Amino acid sequence: MTMAASQMPQPQAATGGTPGERLPPPRFEVGALGWIRENLFNSWFNAVLTFVSAAVIVLGLFYGLRWVITGAEWTVIGVLGGQMVIGQYNTESSCPGQNCFWRPQVALLLATALFGMAWGMAGGGVARRLSIGVVVVITLFAFLPYSFERMGMDVRLLLVANIPALLLGWAVAHYIGISVRGIVIYAVAAFIVAVLLMRGLPGIPGLQPVMVSNWGGLTLNLLLAVAPISLSLPVGIALALGRRSNLPVVKLLCVVFIEVFRGVPLITLLFMSQVLVPLAFPEDFPVNSLFRAGIIITLFSSAYMAENIRGGLQALHPGQAEAARALGLPGWQTTILISLPQAIRNVIPAIVGQFIALYKDTTLVYIIGMLDVVEISRAFIQGNAQYLSNAKELFIFLALVFWVFTYTMSYVSGKVEEHLGVGER
Amino acid sequence: MAQMRRLLTYQGVEIWRHTKVLQWTLQIASAILVVVLVAWFFTNIVTAVQGREIPHGWGFMDREYQTPIGHTFLPYESSDSFGYALGAATVNTIVVSIVGVILATMLGIFIGVARLSSNWLVSKLATVYIEFFRNVPLLIQLFFWFYIILALPPVREGYILGGGLFVNNRGISMPFPEATAFGPAIVWALLAAAGLVAGWAVYRLLLVQEAHRGRPMYPLWGGLTIAVLIGAISWIVVSLAASDSPFVISTPVAEGRFGNIAGGFTGPAGLVVLIVGLVTYTASFIAEIVRAGIQSVRRGQIEASRALGLTPMETLRYVTFPQALRVIVPPLISQFLNLTKNSSLAGAIGYSDLTNVAKTMTQTAPAVSIFLLIMAAYLAMSLTYSIIGNLYNRHIRFTGN
Repeated sequence: MTMAASQMPQPQAATGGTPGERLPPPRFEVGALGWIRENLFNSWFNAVLTFVSAAVIVLGLFYGLRWVITGAEWTVIGVLGGQMVIGQYNTESSCPGQNCFWRPQVALLLATALFGMAWGMAGGGVARRLSIGVVVVITLFAFLPYSFERMGMDVRLLLVANIPALLLGWAVAHYIGISVRGIVIYAVAAFIVAVLLMRGLPGIPGLQPVMVSNWGGLTLNLLLAVAPISLSLPVGIALALGRRSNLPVVKLLCVVFIEVFRGVPLITLLFMSQVLVPLAFPEDFPVNSLFRAGIIITLFSSAYMAENIRGGLQALHPGQAEAARALGLPGWQTTILISLPQAIRNVIPAIVGQFIALYKDTTLVYIIGMLDVVEISRAFIQGNAQYLSNAKELFIFLALVFWVFTYTMSYVSGKVEEHLGVGER
Repeated sequence: MAQMRRLLTYQGVEIWRHTKVLQWTLQIASAILVVVLVAWFFTNIVTAVQGREIPHGWGFMDREYQTPIGHTFLPYESSDSFGYALGAATVNTIVVSIVGVILATMLGIFIGVARLSSNWLVSKLATVYIEFFRNVPLLIQLFFWFYIILALPPVREGYILGGGLFVNNRGISMPFPEATAFGPAIVWALLAAAGLVAGWAVYRLLLVQEAHRGRPMYPLWGGLTIAVLIGAISWIVVSLAASDSPFVISTPVAEGRFGNIAGGFTGPAGLVVLIVGLVTYTASFIAEIVRAGIQSVRRGQIEASRALGLTPMETLRYVTFPQALRVIVPPLISQFLNLTKNSSLAGAIGYSDLTNVAKTMTQTAPAVSIFLLIMAAYLAMSLTYSIIGNLYNRHIRFTGN
């Protein structure tokens, strides 16, 4: 009811004064007072609402802040520390006799250089803000107040090295120039190199293989998010086109695939992949759990992506495709050059929403025994009973970490939409 | 050569340039590819099952499950069969889904409307809620609630609110109607259902009459009166006939040295955490859907209805809401499906939903059969929601007359 009331035009107060004389507006209708009156006390009902919500906020802030400052024990986060980032990767059992932490760190440098290239190519704006923000946060981690035994000088230096990596990427794009295709090729190559680095190569000193089952922490979440995000968009587009095609067999296959993957929980599919997929392939078929999880998440996400893109295609005016055909474009060019770009532009929020959902879904790999950041925290709490009462703090911290990532994604999507002028053209 | 060329033409066009031929080749090729792939997987599974002596088939369904299940709404004992255990677990998931959907819709509409409030403070509070709960993985939220419940005091020192609501680290206990005997209870329930149907019929009738005669006929009050009257009269009749009332309110009472709670309905900690987590998470999505739906109604519609003399409440009821509903319902249904599927996270917090029970079952029963069954169960649930949603959508859609 507040909604309906707000959309009614407010009756204007009758103006006094002699005719011809221009009086200043009443003090309580403009400025801060006017704003408060208009937005907080425009009816008795709203006044009550204002007092109630103000009470909620004040009490919530009071008790919340008091708990955060005096009641909460945040030490558990420091104790868990690096395990949240990398899991069991650098333990003695998974990487015997040597320090393996530099390998994911070098992979991070490759990613940072990619941010720098994006900044250099875009020339500023959101790409600059994002890449500088990311590198500042990473660099701040180098100054964590751990002892040098816990966090060595090499680790800290490799974190600080992200600044030159960013600048190098920026310089390459700015002074030498790099095309979008070049960036994509670099990104794919960097991803492969990063995975190889983390996997290790047998026979090369310093690159001792590390079992995939020992990968973990936030790194695992990010790996499981990046590859499926990049793959689910093209697969989803193909499925959406297949579902809209007038070839009955192709259409049927796409519909069955989309509906089955949308109808079953991801967690069930993941568990099924662990039990059934090893049976479905010959015994000596080399498939590891990380790869399997990546494939399942990709397929699951692309089924949803296909429906988003189909929505965008359906919203497109048929005149667009007709005009393209009239201009003599063949069918596939009409689709790729005319329909798809407009369809995708129209559903950017839905696509990014699906990316965010996918990122959140990477926490579900606990079902197949992978130690992602949530599972490793839960296992830590379960294994160390003295921290049981601090579980709340740990999970609030994890919630904030995930929130920062997902909020950044929706922020960037908003900026991209602004740039493309969605809703204006 | 010319002979060859004529052989390779169809309707006067070379076959490698003929659209129809190309399309059908593509389709047949993709069909063959899929069939071959499925057949390959299938033979691999069959070889593996036979070669490695992995259990298979459907014979397990009648065997005794012999494993306790944490909590079931249907009565369950370890001596029950696998089939019945799966059924009981499915009922758990269905109950969670229905309760969750109802609560999440209520909370979601409330927050969505609050987000649109002209009150700056209320709208900002709703925005903070939505942005936070929507962007944090459900699993983390569930663990958070789980450890909150664990931090509650044990049964003997737990909170007792209003005499009947017990809150402690084992869950929440509340008063619940309990049937005294099966016969009278079912008779009264049927009669009361009939009363509801009659009340609804009276409501529709009065509504039509109201539009027809152009004067208030109070359809809502009429329908409610009829329903309550039939319910009350049948209650008295059944009570007199059976010399006992069909239902009594059973209140939970703490008893025994360890403070076990008897009577009432006790939602175990896992169930409470699951429902609270699912509802708060899904409500943030529903709120955004409701907001988008209400904002999609053109301003002119509201201004016109105000100009016609409708009050703000009537405008919301008769102009804004029916039009917003058309935009809201399809995405709302998909949120209901998401809630149902997300309930499969129950295993993480130790509640025995369908996926969790099935996961345990795969240790003693053929995994392939179990997976086919739970996939069928989830698909059936999704389909039911979709059908109901689509029927309702057809009912409210814009007919253009």
